Amino acid sequence: MSELDEFKATYFDECSELLNELEEQFTAIEEGDRNADRLNAVFRAIHSVKGGAGAFGFSGLVGFAHEFETLLDFVRTGKIEMTDEVVTLCIRSNDIVADFVGAARAGEELPSDHGAEEKARFVTLCKGTKGDDELDEDGEPMEEFDIEFTPVMVNLEPVNDSGKEGWLVEFTPHRDLYARANDPLLLLRELAELGDVDVKVILKTIPTLADFEPFGVYCGWEILVPGDDVTEQSVRDVFEFVDGDCDIKITRQTIAEPRDDADAMAFDLDDDMPSFADLANEITPEVKKPVPVAAPVQSDPNGTEEGKNAAPVGVQSIRVDLDKVDRVVNMVGELVITQSMLTQQMDDNLKVHYQELVRGLEVLAQTTRGLQDSVMAIRAQPVKSVFSRMPRLVRELAGKTNKKIRLEMVGENTEIDKTVIEQLSDPLTHMIRNSADHGIEIPEKRTAGRKPETGVIRLSAEQAGGNILIIVEDDGAGINRDRVLQIARERGVVGPEQQMSEEQIDNLIFAPGFSTADEVSDISGRGVGMDVVLSNIKKIGGSVHVRSWPGAGTRMTLRLPLTLAVLDVMLVTVGRCPYVIPLSSIVETMQCSRAEFGHMPTGGRVLQVRGEYVQVVDLATRFEMHTDVEDKHRFAVLCEAEGSVKIALIVDDIIGQQQVVIKSLEENFERIDGIAGGTILGDGNVALIVDVQGLRSATTHRNAA
Amino acid sequence: MEALEINNEVDDGQVVETKTLQLIAFSIGEQIYGVEITTVREIRAWNGATPLPNTREFVVGVINLRGTIVPIFDLRARFGDGQTSPTKTHVVVVMSVGEKWVGILVDAVSDILTVSKDDIHNVPEGNSVDTDLLSGIITHDGQMVGLIDLHAVVAGAQIEA
Repeated sequence: MSELDEFKATYFDECSELLNELEEQFTAIEEGDRNADRLNAVFRAIHSVKGGAGAFGFSGLVGFAHEFETLLDFVRTGKIEMTDEVVTLCIRSNDIVADFVGAARAGEELPSDHGAEEKARFVTLCKGTKGDDELDEDGEPMEEFDIEFTPVMVNLEPVNDSGKEGWLVEFTPHRDLYARANDPLLLLRELAELGDVDVKVILKTIPTLADFEPFGVYCGWEILVPGDDVTEQSVRDVFEFVDGDCDIKITRQTIAEPRDDADAMAFDLDDDMPSFADLANEITPEVKKPVPVAAPVQSDPNGTEEGKNAAPVGVQSIRVDLDKVDRVVNMVGELVITQSMLTQQMDDNLKVHYQELVRGLEVLAQTTRGLQDSVMAIRAQPVKSVFSRMPRLVRELAGKTNKKIRLEMVGENTEIDKTVIEQLSDPLTHMIRNSADHGIEIPEKRTAGRKPETGVIRLSAEQAGGNILIIVEDDGAGINRDRVLQIARERGVVGPEQQMSEEQIDNLIFAPGFSTADEVSDISGRGVGMDVVLSNIKKIGGSVHVRSWPGAGTRMTLRLPLTLAVLDVMLVTVGRCPYVIPLSSIVETMQCSRAEFGHMPTGGRVLQVRGEYVQVVDLATRFEMHTDVEDKHRFAVLCEAEGSVKIALIVDDIIGQQQVVIKSLEENFERIDGIAGGTILGDGNVALIVDVQGLRSATTHRNAA
Repeated sequence: MEALEINNEVDDGQVVETKTLQLIAFSIGEQIYGVEITTVREIRAWNGATPLPNTREFVVGVINLRGTIVPIFDLRARFGDGQTSPTKTHVVVVMSVGEKWVGILVDAVSDILTVSKDDIHNVPEGNSVDTDLLSGIITHDGQMVGLIDLHAVVAGAQIEA
């Protein structure tokens, strides 16, 4: 990878973050939040996207972003009113910016008229404003770089309204300011809008030609902004975007001060400061140093928009190659195994004689656990990164299907392992598409059904024990069970005589026979790509559950593991072989001698637990292992599979609880029915992880067949 | 001396590469089989394996190979000669088949053979199991050595429902 490619990669990484943020801001704005901070955040993000695009020569993107920015600026300054129409246009434009970024990333070219319509509307909107003389209409992508000859609206005449108060702004740009495609002229112009400013350029720092560095920055400006009514904040706002890229000193001044001294002042200011200080303190003048400003705001736990004003210099996070993190995660996993192996080696004899060693091991255990948690936390990411793609999807779907759909999102800050998040995007897309396509009805139908015209899709994430629940809910028509069952029978997924509960029917939409869109797109129920949902979720050790209420909506629940790497399990033996059962699925365990079993006509057994009959699976039989343990000495492990369906697994013995690192069987072998994977125990042996859900569905299927 | 010989072969470059083949030979009962040396990753003594449920009789189980799980195939059982009852003297040859690592359980590893590619005979038509599992036959010191087709050996491990 060349250096430029690396820069590009970083730029695209940043872009996706910015686009996510934009999506978030627009969602809030769409919901009616007209807070100026939001618009500023949007403006900043677009500006950053544009800046980078300019550097890499993505001219289409620059051109569009520039026009968009112009519009946003007018909205921001109040020249254009933030009507719903404008909001819609902005959101649409945001999608287009995303398109441009996506195309640039993929190295593709979008059709040259992409976004032209929106661009034209920007121009129309902007033209109708008083600031239209600032607008460059030729739409040339690079026009922002040759504005130096456009009329400057600054008044270079000293304003000698003696006695009047004003602000003396000392503005010294850094090299970075130019590097980020900012132009001091724009800033000066903006300042000029505050009143008749007096601008003086400071050229004293320009070195002799011999020392002159071509890209060096040698000049600064002093701007005197008159007027009693101008607040310091409004002056500061002008420099908001270059915060950290320049030195700014704002001091209250009496205009009458002889301007001739200004030059001297600019450079000996530090010495003069004390005399200003008292006067200035009340209005907090200071050279803005970006780091201290950034630090407290960025760590703002609520992630409010103020945080985004912070200068990029405030390093609160670092980019780390995921491989590196994975390596650490793997090593910590091995450490956990070694630690538990050591603990297992401690017999009573050792414990008596080497108490220090025992204590040391306990501390080691604690530290390891802590280390593991911290490492996992590094990999954890808020689901926001996936959720934020959904509003756009819903907008597009609503447009295509002529439905009115509102997307509600809850719990975006819930954190999940990065690997899980990566696997989440496709399933979520399918589920949302499904809800929008099949769930939500067209407005007329909704009105007829006495529902609000706008359908609601609710996307939520929450943590429940060792799992994360992602729920997609809609208030649409629900699953048409008759049709689903009919099709299931036609396709032989369900036997002709088989009776199914409503819940079982709902979950049929995930059955393999319902796998492709073509086969089922004609039913009013669901089924588009739902196999993708199931397989993706299963792959990461999660489960899917669907419930539907006819006429009232559908709820799909994804249950996902918090992390992929470590699992709390119960270690059991079946036929002298070690198996582990995920602790999260275990409800209770009991000795078989105390359990009440009932016998079914086909010879199967059921377990009676508190008035409930639960299907029994003898793991020895199921896994074809020979066991010589008497039935009464064996144990029943009551597990809960998806949809609160219980299943009792009969095992030979229960050894205990421990943490294991999940290892893939598929990596070197293939998937085995009823086994979710493998793990390595403290003694170095492999134990197999029981796939509770798999056992349950396989058994149901067998019974059905 | 041996080291020298190997060096010579390596230095010979292309000629050696195209014309000859190095095999690891191992025995199952009296019969000798071989696999190409470059596919072999590791040879280790039998030290138990965790049986896998619902797999064919020739899948012995899985072992932990430095943190990854590797399946072990019983070559004797694969050839239909009944399951091996492994002891400490049995040997697991870990090999890479495509992207995957697998181990095969054999009685003993006997030799490293250098053979000419021209000397590889086709497997005579007959029993389909033989033609499936062997990719060729060579004669070494008057003994027949079957070249194992690893892909075929590891295929079809699960019991079809």
